[in-house]
Amino acid sequence: MIQVYNLNKSYQKDSSAVRDLTLKVAKGEFVYITGPSGAGKSTLLKLLFAAEKPSRGQILINGQNLTRMNGKKIALMRRRLGVVFQDFKLINSRSVFENVAFPLEIQGKKRYEVSNKVYQVLKLVGLEHKIKRYPLELSGGEQQRIAIARALVIDPLVLIADEPTGNLDPDNTCEVMELFKGANARGTTVLLATHDRDIIRRFPRRVLTLDQGRLVRDLTP
Amino acid sequence: MRRVIYFLLRALRNMRQSPFLCSAAISTVTVALVILAFFALIVINVQQLTRHWSRDVQVVAYFDHPPASPVLDRQLSRIRQYPEVESVAYISPRQAFKRFQVRLGDDADLLQGMANDFLPAALEVRLTEKYRNSAGVQRVVERLRRNKSFADLRYGQEWLERFEAFLGLLRTAGLVLGGFLLFAALFIVSNTIKLTLYARREELEVMALVGGTPAFIKAPFLLEGALQGALGGLFALLTSFLFFSMVLKEDLGRLLLASGLGKISFLPPHWQILIVLLGCLLGLFGSLFSLRKFVRI
Repeated sequence: MIQVYNLNKSYQKDSSAVRDLTLKVAKGEFVYITGPSGAGKSTLLKLLFAAEKPSRGQILINGQNLTRMNGKKIALMRRRLGVVFQDFKLINSRSVFENVAFPLEIQGKKRYEVSNKVYQVLKLVGLEHKIKRYPLELSGGEQQRIAIARALVIDPLVLIADEPTGNLDPDNTCEVMELFKGANARGTTVLLATHDRDIIRRFPRRVLTLDQGRLVRDLTP
Repeated sequence: MRRVIYFLLRALRNMRQSPFLCSAAISTVTVALVILAFFALIVINVQQLTRHWSRDVQVVAYFDHPPASPVLDRQLSRIRQYPEVESVAYISPRQAFKRFQVRLGDDADLLQGMANDFLPAALEVRLTEKYRNSAGVQRVVERLRRNKSFADLRYGQEWLERFEAFLGLLRTAGLVLGGFLLFAALFIVSNTIKLTLYARREELEVMALVGGTPAFIKAPFLLEGALQGALGGLFALLTSFLFFSMVLKEDLGRLLLASGLGKISFLPPHWQILIVLLGCLLGLFGSLFSLRKFVRI
């Protein structure tokens, strides 16, 4: 599903955020990306959903080379990726329904299709009763569940999450992790960056450890 | 079509969701275009005045002796055929005398005891609008000079040159100031729209993250800019018209009427359409320039 070859990303001349990274993630896998702060976890994820361009190397997702895509093709590729962030990145001026419906609207889906799908996915994350609320009226955990719903509403090939539990308490962390496990069980490949060892212990899966931009360990339980 | 309606609805919703920023953008366009409309109003009326003045551009050809009727007819028909000529009028010595009397007014008694045919007969040659300039007058004068029947030709060369210099200045000032105003308007509008986009940067970012193509992300904002610009243009027209009716018509009117212009007019319909269109373009380009900074995929 995901193939990364000799990936490098430098922001400055003599320091690299990601160095000579090569890895493969199979379809349907659940992979943690971990490491200390500044290890390059977020940079790697940004490279995977093309928010950043690599300095060198190749990224293939579902057989398509991300590094050779123009703006429009990148946009079309992102329609098959679900992305979740630590800070949720919800649009505060839009209701829960509108936030979750946004990716489907962009894909030009019909209105009844959008409504059905949004309701289903909100039910999945347990927030169907908050459909008319606005993000700032919800708790942090609820906002993250809305962000996950927005990522899942398109039935993504890959779900990319950057520290999704970073702002959450232990109860909400568990709920959010159950949602990722559920998505993975339904066949979605999940890539989750975290530095929280407790999560990895409680939900053991393949772990890629980065340090100073290099892949230093690849462990499968 | 479904996409266009979607973009339009989104543009309208964006405007409804940020009424303050939307009003700021519309007001900026309005103010910029009101200034431009006033400037156009003054230039158009002054141009009308100069056109009015240019009607006085004529060549007067004086005869040595009053011509016999067949000779005069021949001269008149020949001159009428010149492409530069709009009309030719024969002024007999008596008609000239009467005009002189009228012009002297209260001092007309100075002419007492003079014969009423002492002034020379003349032809007054009026030119078509296209030739009411120094070059046009020269062409007619050269043709008339070849005609030996005329003792003298008068055409106010100095006045004409000054008049042309004034027209040139007016045109250049119009172009330079108009261009400057337009550029300033574009700059201000673009910056105001940049502020509105800055306030919506999270939305732009999310749109890009969930797979919005650059065109899809930009379209509603461009449409919004164009709509705001068009609204600004309409408000600018309305404001200019109100100000014109209440203040300018009287003040500018007093100035221009004293200079001989019949009536002061508001912007003609094609200028009104141009102002709205200009507003639309200002909004569109203002958004386009700002979006380049905020939409990066």
